Amino acid sequence: MRSDQRAELVLGALACFVLALIIGMVVFVFTKAWPSFSANGLAWFGTGGDVDQQLTDIFNSPANPKAYVYELRAWPLLYGTALTTGGAVLVGLVFSVLAAIFIVEFAPERLQRLLEPVVLLLAAVPSVVYGLIGILVVVPFVRDAFISEDRKKAVQYIVQLDGTSLAVAVAILTVMIVPIMVAIIVDALRSVPRQWTEGAAALGVNRWRVMWTISVRAVRPAIIAAAVLATARALGEAIMLSMVSGSKAFAPNPLDGITFLFEPTRPLAATIVDNREGLSAVPLGQTIYAFAAVLLVSSLVLSFAGWYMKRGLRQGVIYGGSV
Amino acid sequence: MPRTRHFGAVVAGAAVAAVAIGPVSAQAKTTITMSGSTSIAPLATKLARGYGKASFRIFQGGSDIGIADVSRGRVSIGNSSRDPQSSDPGGLQFNRVARDGVCIVTSPSNPMSSLSIQQVQAIFTGRVRNWSDIPGAKVSGTIDLVVRTPASGTQDAFQNIFLGQSLRVSSSASQKASNGLVQQTVRSNKNAIGYVSFDFAKGVNAVPYRGVACNLRNAKSGQYGGVRNFWMVTRGAPKGATKGFIDYVRSSRGQKIVASDWVPIR
Repeated sequence: MRSDQRAELVLGALACFVLALIIGMVVFVFTKAWPSFSANGLAWFGTGGDVDQQLTDIFNSPANPKAYVYELRAWPLLYGTALTTGGAVLVGLVFSVLAAIFIVEFAPERLQRLLEPVVLLLAAVPSVVYGLIGILVVVPFVRDAFISEDRKKAVQYIVQLDGTSLAVAVAILTVMIVPIMVAIIVDALRSVPRQWTEGAAALGVNRWRVMWTISVRAVRPAIIAAAVLATARALGEAIMLSMVSGSKAFAPNPLDGITFLFEPTRPLAATIVDNREGLSAVPLGQTIYAFAAVLLVSSLVLSFAGWYMKRGLRQGVIYGGSV
Repeated sequence: MPRTRHFGAVVAGAAVAAVAIGPVSAQAKTTITMSGSTSIAPLATKLARGYGKASFRIFQGGSDIGIADVSRGRVSIGNSSRDPQSSDPGGLQFNRVARDGVCIVTSPSNPMSSLSIQQVQAIFTGRVRNWSDIPGAKVSGTIDLVVRTPASGTQDAFQNIFLGQSLRVSSSASQKASNGLVQQTVRSNKNAIGYVSFDFAKGVNAVPYRGVACNLRNAKSGQYGGVRNFWMVTRGAPKGATKGFIDYVRSSRGQKIVASDWVPIR
C-alpha cells in the first residue's frame, strides 16, 4: 500500500471518529436532559416564578427518584442569553466593519502592520482575563459612575444594582468578539479584486463610497460568517459572564429606562458554570444538561442559518473565513 | 481488499483506545453505602476517594433521608448536617466527622462590631433594606446583599445555620458563583454584606457573631456560633468496614482532607 493511500485512510478514520463523537455528544446530552424537558413540556421555555428558587428546589429534591422535582420556567435565562449575545453581536458588527474598513483602506501602512497582529492577539486572550478585568475595574467603575443611590432605591424591592449588569456583560463580550470579526472581515476586504475598486475610483467615486458600495457589499458573506462565529463564541461564553453579568436569573425590564442596562442577568452558559457544585444532585444535573442541550441546538441552528444566508448572497461575492 | 483491512484496523484501534479510557473495573472490595445530606456529599466523595480500602456508593437526598435510611438498614452510613433530635429513631449513633460554617462579612469601610441572629435574618430576608435602620452601621444607604448561587455548600450552610428552614434569602440579592467573588464584591462595595467560608474572610470585615470573632480557631473550638456539625450516622456503634472508614475519617489523615474545604474536628 502506498503511503498516500495510508494517509488517506488515517484521515478518513479520524474524520469518521470526529463525526461519531459529535453525534454521540448530541445524543448523550439529549438523553441526560430528557427528564427535565418531559416534566415541564413547552412550559420549560416559559415564564413563571423565580428561576433561582426553582433551581434550589430541584437541588433539594428528595432522594427517591419518583419524587424528584423538575419544575423550571427558564425564560429569564433564555432572555438573558439573547440579550447579551444579540447586544454584543450587534454592537460588535458596527465596530468590526468600521475597524476593518479603516485597517484595509485608510490606515497608513505602518499602522496597518501594527494593528493586524494586535487584533489577532486580542482574539487569543482567554475569557477569564476579560472577566477579571471586568470584575476588578469595569464593574466598580460602573457602580460608582452610573448607579446612584436614587437609581438603586427605585428598584430596591425588585432587584439589587451593584455594577454587575447587562451593560458590562455586553460591553466586555463585545470587546471579546470584535477581534475575530475584524480579522475575518479584513481578510475578505483584502481579497476584493482591485479592478472593482479601481474602476469605481476611476469614475470619480470617493474612497469612502467605494468602500461602502463596492467592497463592503462584496464581502457580505464574510460579514455573515464573522457574525455567526462571533455569536457562537458569545453563546458559549460562561466564565466571564458568570463574573460580570450579575449571575442572577433576572429578566432585565426595558420599561425601567436607562436602569434596564444596569440590571443583572444570567445567560445559560453562565448558569451551567454557577451550578457546577450541585451537579451531583441527579435532577439538577439533568436540568443543567437541558441548558446544555438548548445551547447545542442554538449553535447548530445558527450554523445552518449562516450557511443558508451565505448561499443566498453567493453571486459575485468574496469569501473570507467560513462558518 | 487491503484497503478495507487497513480501514478496519484503524477503527479497531480507535475502539480499543475508547475502552481503555473507560472506567477501571472495580476489584472485589466491600461496598459502603451512604445517603443523606447534600452538603456532606462532596466531602464524603473526597474522603471515599482518599480511603481506597472499600468501594462506595453515595446517594443524597437530605439529612432526614440519611437518618431514616440508616435506621432502616438501607445504607451503612447516613450523612446528617443537622444535630440529633429527640424525634430521631432510636438506636442510632451520631459520629461527628467535621464542622462547617460561614462568616458574615461587611466592607472594611463598614466595620460592624456585632450582629444578632435577628439582625442577620432581617437583613438577609430583605425585611430591613437600609443601613440607617441597623444600629452600629458606619455607612448609610441601601443594603447590598451578596449571596451564593443556590447549589453551593456555602449557601446551604448559611441557610441552615442562620435562617433555618422557613426563612428565605431575599430574591433581590445578587448571587455570586464563588467565595472569592463574594469577598471581592464585599471588599469593593461599602454597602455590601455577604457570607463566606473562613478562608475568605481576609481583606473584609468579618462580623463577630454573638460577641465571638469569626475565625477558624474559634470555629474549631466550638465557641463561634456560626457553625454546624457534619455527622456520619450509624445504626449502633460502627462495625467492620464501616468502622474502618469512620476511624479513617476521624484520624489525622482523614481530617486533613476535611481541612481542604471544611473545619476539622481537631
